[in-house]
Amino acid sequence: MPGIDESLLEAMRLPGARGALVADWISGLALGAVGEAPGGDAEATAAETAELARLALESPTLAPGSGGGASGGTTVEDLILTTADAYQLLRLVVTPFDSTVFLYLWLDRRDGNLALARIRLAEMADRLVLG
Amino acid sequence: MTAAAPTHTTAPALLAGLAADGATGVLTTSSGVLHLAAGEVVHADSAMSPALGELLTRSGALAPENWWEAVRRAGVRRRVGRHLVERGRLTTGALELCHLGALFDAAYFALLHDDRPARFRPGVAHWLGAVRPVPAAAVLRESRRRRALLQRIWPDPAVDTAPLARTSGAGRTKLPPRRGRALALVDGASTAAQIASALACRTFHTLVELRRLAADGLVIPAPPRPAAALRGPAAPGAAWDEPETALLRRLLDALEAL
Repeated sequence: MPGIDESLLEAMRLPGARGALVADWISGLALGAVGEAPGGDAEATAAETAELARLALESPTLAPGSGGGASGGTTVEDLILTTADAYQLLRLVVTPFDSTVFLYLWLDRRDGNLALARIRLAEMADRLVLG
Repeated sequence: MTAAAPTHTTAPALLAGLAADGATGVLTTSSGVLHLAAGEVVHADSAMSPALGELLTRSGALAPENWWEAVRRAGVRRRVGRHLVERGRLTTGALELCHLGALFDAAYFALLHDDRPARFRPGVAHWLGAVRPVPAAAVLRESRRRRALLQRIWPDPAVDTAPLARTSGAGRTKLPPRRGRALALVDGASTAAQIASALACRTFHTLVELRRLAADGLVIPAPPRPAAALRGPAAPGAAWDEPETALLRRLLDALEAL
């Protein structure tokens, strides 16, 4: 049964994976990190991606069901940011208790497969909480 | 087990020294406790923040009888966390996420007054058992970062401890769900810690919402009420309770539930 570290190591086995972390989108805390981080500082990456996630989750129109424990079609699932050399992927983790966490994956664009990574990261987020 | 001589070392300085020594025991500050094992923080408690058991049971993630069964069967062996996972009550990941959420929440309040003296009692391990130990330096860094985050949102610390009231603007704007739920419990009497407890939410995360509401002019510290109105039985999680009193009360609740 995977814990935080096992989930991050599993994410790192995806083709092109450079770094992965679990972070809290309200506090900006990195709960766990493996591999590299853009800019070299995983805690800074956690804080910056948290702010990005929060803007999406608190948007009244883009995803109005988010952050309220509601399920259905209007909650944020993923955020995807692409640059010429990388994909950065955030997946929100749904928990039955108060937590505001997401998985983050940094993929090299040459070797990475965004569609595959998105599916796998979603599965990892579910397994982390549900087993 | 011997009690350490009282010192006037501040909590951050004491914690850094204990981490370097690989110490095991309990660090008590003016506002909470940090449990250390081999120099790392394994657990934290504060009267300001909901405990792990409250976060798990009051959210419905875990039935209260399952929590107390784990405390009863595995508490003495200091394996409560592992017992919950072995019995299939929680996944390892869920336990770690909730535990870290509670740990950093309580540690923030335990380390809030970093100019006040703290004391250390060596040799006492925590009954939960090690779930995911955190380096002391990471706890100190995160506590400072959280203080700066609140300061950036709205620089009035009274929001964190005073009873809170709504302004006339509240209710007119559409709010993100978490903020809306916090605002709904602002009633002129409840403090942030009480609102967090009622929501089964971590208190720091509730402070973030309440400071954002204050920044938007929707919430203010309530005007003082006559002293008589403030007396009466203390609500659970009442702000700035003596930490040891709060811990004793929690212990009493635990014993009664057995």
